[in-house]
Amino acid sequence: MMTMRMNRTIVAALVLLLLQTAVIPWAIPSAWSDRLLPHLPFVMTMFVAAFAGRHRAFLFGLGFGLLEDTLSYGHMIGAYAFGMALLGYLVGLLAEQRTTRTLAFTLLMIGLGSGLLDLLVYFVYKLFLLTHLSVAYVVYWQVVPTLLLQTFAGLALYLPVRRWFIKTAAPKEEAAA
Amino acid sequence: MIGLILFIAVMGFTLRRSGSTWPERFVNDAFGSVQGVLYKPVGAVASFFRDLGRLSDVYKENEELRKTVARYTQDRIHYNTIESDNKRYQELLHFTETQKQFYNYKYLFAQVIASSTNPYDKTIKILLGSRDGIKERMAVITADGLVGLVSSVSEFTSTVMPITEMDPSSPDVISISATISGKEDEAFGIIEYNKESKSLLMSKIDENAKVEKGDTVVTAGKGNLLPKGLIIGTVLSNQVGDYGLTHTATIQPAAKFDHLYEVMVVVAPDPDKP
Repeated sequence: MMTMRMNRTIVAALVLLLLQTAVIPWAIPSAWSDRLLPHLPFVMTMFVAAFAGRHRAFLFGLGFGLLEDTLSYGHMIGAYAFGMALLGYLVGLLAEQRTTRTLAFTLLMIGLGSGLLDLLVYFVYKLFLLTHLSVAYVVYWQVVPTLLLQTFAGLALYLPVRRWFIKTAAPKEEAAA
Repeated sequence: MIGLILFIAVMGFTLRRSGSTWPERFVNDAFGSVQGVLYKPVGAVASFFRDLGRLSDVYKENEELRKTVARYTQDRIHYNTIESDNKRYQELLHFTETQKQFYNYKYLFAQVIASSTNPYDKTIKILLGSRDGIKERMAVITADGLVGLVSSVSEFTSTVMPITEMDPSSPDVISISATISGKEDEAFGIIEYNKESKSLLMSKIDENAKVEKGDTVVTAGKGNLLPKGLIIGTVLSNQVGDYGLTHTATIQPAAKFDHLYEVMVVVAPDPDKP
């Protein structure tokens, strides 16, 4: 059975959050700056959901979602905390049904999860009348490009995560799997 | 289910309120210090490469600047005469001290330290806080024009909401009143932003006001919220608005809202202060 080193994962997610707010905005060209809006702690939440179970993913998503909301507080707090906690739990639930963890499965989870997260956040803002954009426009303009970028981020993070953040307690099971 | 109810309560509670609690301020300041360390050097490197690309334009730009400086010197002389005249008239008309201080704005330079990646809350963060005298709803500008308003303040950092986030029909709206530079007494409108067409609009203009392409839109300073005369943009077109009674102008914003490096916070004199 595989477990995660949670301390290291949390530190890594904090570093990723700093990169996301302070470095990535410079790397994205102006014309794309409101289309590519990656959420790297969310990618880490998906890894936690896949490797450490649904309860930890729920708490991880809740904590980092709340942190992101607080850091970008303009209209309201809670949209990302809600979305990331819920999706962490759901994806964790889904992942616990499967015994193997392939790259394709993890990336699928990240892609699917980020699409759902962005839609969920959109509907929360729509509910509170803070946005009046149409669903089709949001999907085309922001959700899909961000989904692709986050899947690539997941691909880039996959090897470091497996090497440094995951300890395999029983090597025999790993060999059998 | 309880979680869902709790979240809706939190979201509703944080929707329209002023001031922030100590955990928020602590988190903002703790992250702000590290973000500041990262954002500045990365920005320096990024703008260095952008400047390299624009090296060929420097000569042309220089010539333009020379012309502007020449014009500026002339205007300055003109301005000095008008200012001294104005002071004399104020004395003659017995202006109170408050009225005299009314347009005496201070500008505080602030370094941008982070920008958010939330598509519906695209705020930026600056390295000036309540310690430096920043208060909520102060105007934030760049050399080009109005960027936004301060939305929340902590001890060392504050969050700025750009004018592109100000939707006139959202529940926590702050309306910006605007006018046309040089036609202050006839043209008046409200600034709003249409995210779908990515255009800034000035709505509810009187149909008799002559608003033409190329006019400069500035803040009107009505209601004491925003200082007067901050540049918002230039008019691209003016057409009849939704109900046919008023006009709506499309505006090209003067300031850009991303890849910001340094901004200025406008501190207006407090009218309540003795």
